[in-house]
Amino acid sequence: MPPTESKATAQQPDEHADLLAEIEASLGEGKLPLQTFNDETVHQLELDRLFGREWIFVGHESEIPEEGDYARRYIAGDPFIFVRDINGDVQVLFDSCRHRGAKLCRAEQGNTSHFRCPYHGWTYKNTGDLVGVPQKEVAFKNLDQSEHGLHSAPRVDSYAGLVFASLSDSGESLEEHLGEFTWYLDIQFKLPDGGMEVIGEPHRWVVETNWKTGADNFAGDSYHTGFAHHSIKQLGLGGDDTVGIAGAGETKDRHVHCDGHTTSTRMVEGEEVFMTYPDEIVDLFNPDNVTPDQYEAAKEALSFTGSVFPNLAFLNFGDITDDPNKDVTGFLGVRKWRPLGPNKTEIWSWAFAPKRASEETKERIYKVYMSNFGPSGNFEQDDVSIWNGITDVADSTFARHHEVDLNYQMGTEEMSEVAYDEEWPGPGTVYAINLEEVGMQKFHDQWFDHLSTPRDGETMSRDCGGGCGSAKADGCGSTRTDDCGSAHADDHDPATGSEPAGGGE
Amino acid sequence: MAANTDRDSELDRFLLKQRVERFLYEEASLLDRREQTEWLALLDEDIEYKAPLRVTREHVNDSFSRSAYYFDEDYGSLEARIQRFESEYAWSERPPSRTRRFVTNVRATERDDGAVDAESYLLLYYGQGDDSSYTFLAGRREDVLRPNGETFTIAKRHVFLDHAVPEIDKISVFL
Repeated sequence: MPPTESKATAQQPDEHADLLAEIEASLGEGKLPLQTFNDETVHQLELDRLFGREWIFVGHESEIPEEGDYARRYIAGDPFIFVRDINGDVQVLFDSCRHRGAKLCRAEQGNTSHFRCPYHGWTYKNTGDLVGVPQKEVAFKNLDQSEHGLHSAPRVDSYAGLVFASLSDSGESLEEHLGEFTWYLDIQFKLPDGGMEVIGEPHRWVVETNWKTGADNFAGDSYHTGFAHHSIKQLGLGGDDTVGIAGAGETKDRHVHCDGHTTSTRMVEGEEVFMTYPDEIVDLFNPDNVTPDQYEAAKEALSFTGSVFPNLAFLNFGDITDDPNKDVTGFLGVRKWRPLGPNKTEIWSWAFAPKRASEETKERIYKVYMSNFGPSGNFEQDDVSIWNGITDVADSTFARHHEVDLNYQMGTEEMSEVAYDEEWPGPGTVYAINLEEVGMQKFHDQWFDHLSTPRDGETMSRDCGGGCGSAKADGCGSTRTDDCGSAHADDHDPATGSEPAGGGE
Repeated sequence: MAANTDRDSELDRFLLKQRVERFLYEEASLLDRREQTEWLALLDEDIEYKAPLRVTREHVNDSFSRSAYYFDEDYGSLEARIQRFESEYAWSERPPSRTRRFVTNVRATERDDGAVDAESYLLLYYGQGDDSSYTFLAGRREDVLRPNGETFTIAKRHVFLDHAVPEIDKISVFL
């Protein structure tokens, strides 16, 4: 293990090295130690080296449409103000006064031209610029206000209205981070004329689960759907192909691993499905907004579920309803796993709909989303109830003493006949079946690369682990095999708002 | 005469509140005993059952979303939820949760059309399994009740939870 200045590491260097070695050995076998799902050391490493470095989803631009609109957002434990400033630019400002550190933002959301510190009254424009210091002429005569604006998240960038921020000054750009996976994201976020928007406010609730369990689930766990969510099928709330047993239905199922991200799709070949959205929505889906191949994929798709490394996930789900006597629809849910501790996660869950959809249709889409996901969702209730059990046993003495491993070997060559889809037009490693867990292995490999690389390290290996490239070498890992550090140091781009807010004007 | 009229209307309000309380207590008891199908029979078929998300704003103490909900239900979706809870694979309620609904601070006003506006506070204990942990949900409810003989049916229920971010694995109970 290379030396590090990390506080967590400094406290327990030996335990660290042993733990990382144990994890690495398990990963090599397509496994992961159970303990990693509830471990304080792992959690501290994640905060420092993963959430302190990676691109983390903050919010969608449609949540702050007007100048001055703001919402409180977090990167792991760190509070930020997600705000559209007076110039119409989106800012992600560290919610801490430059004088004594007090939080400025006292609400979850609102609209304001200024943020005023309640402690001593320092006042900042919604651009982050410091514009007011009480008694300045007497007390702070020589304070350079232009040097004391609110800190901005070191890097801020967006894709299709989805705003991400990174706590690190350097590293790959958001474009590089998303890589070719945008081929799949485009289908979810760019297909309708007018784009997508968030309906209402996100669901937020705190569960006794490790965040990686949720991430695992959306990184290609088609295997659980038919069992954990069997009640949905039984009650006729979801169609056989949406919630049926993986690998057993009529649909053409695929798992895709692409530049560190994953998606799982179910499609009906040769048919126009469009996630069973109502005609009004399908009419908004414009082939000109995507490539012909992407449009064809969307057309045949019944569902997409996916994960953007590390803690963003989405599901564009069709053939689902809140009541078996009502029409089915599709909906797009977007979720973020915010780690609050080794055994505690705040789940954030947003519902999306095409901006130009009628209010009535948006309400219907929201209702079907809410009936199935969010804290009261018929799907989601059952997931979290099961996930919490994993968190419990992960903290067990038995698991630690006996190095209990979890198995993620489905879809490896030792376990099954692996079928790749060579014909598929999209990027990535494409499995012609949704019974495989190599996508989760790749998630774990990337996660481990972060944890085992000190934050000041400049050579993070980003190879995708087992199975990478065996079908399509080009789509997987090609942009992220190296070069995560120094190459992009100081690569601030004022256009994306990544300059410190106080430095402007 | 004036004194008698005041006394009569006070008595009417008292009796109304008494009847509303009796109804709400019986309703809570059905849910706590997990007699959810019997509970469904108390709901009108045109019921509007909503629990909006609380949104914390700087200058308002009680602000709720107009488009985001924990529940936005009609009779059909409530019936589907109940059928799901009673099916074999509803893992969120396996084993069934233990709940205790404390209904207090009841206020009732009769409308001109004979329906009753009933407001109540709800404190809900939620525990499950052989686990020592438990959760409370707290909130305020605004109901519209329709008279049905000596008792009522529920035409409308809006639940305003006090939690900004509930610390609960799932909301697998009715409020």
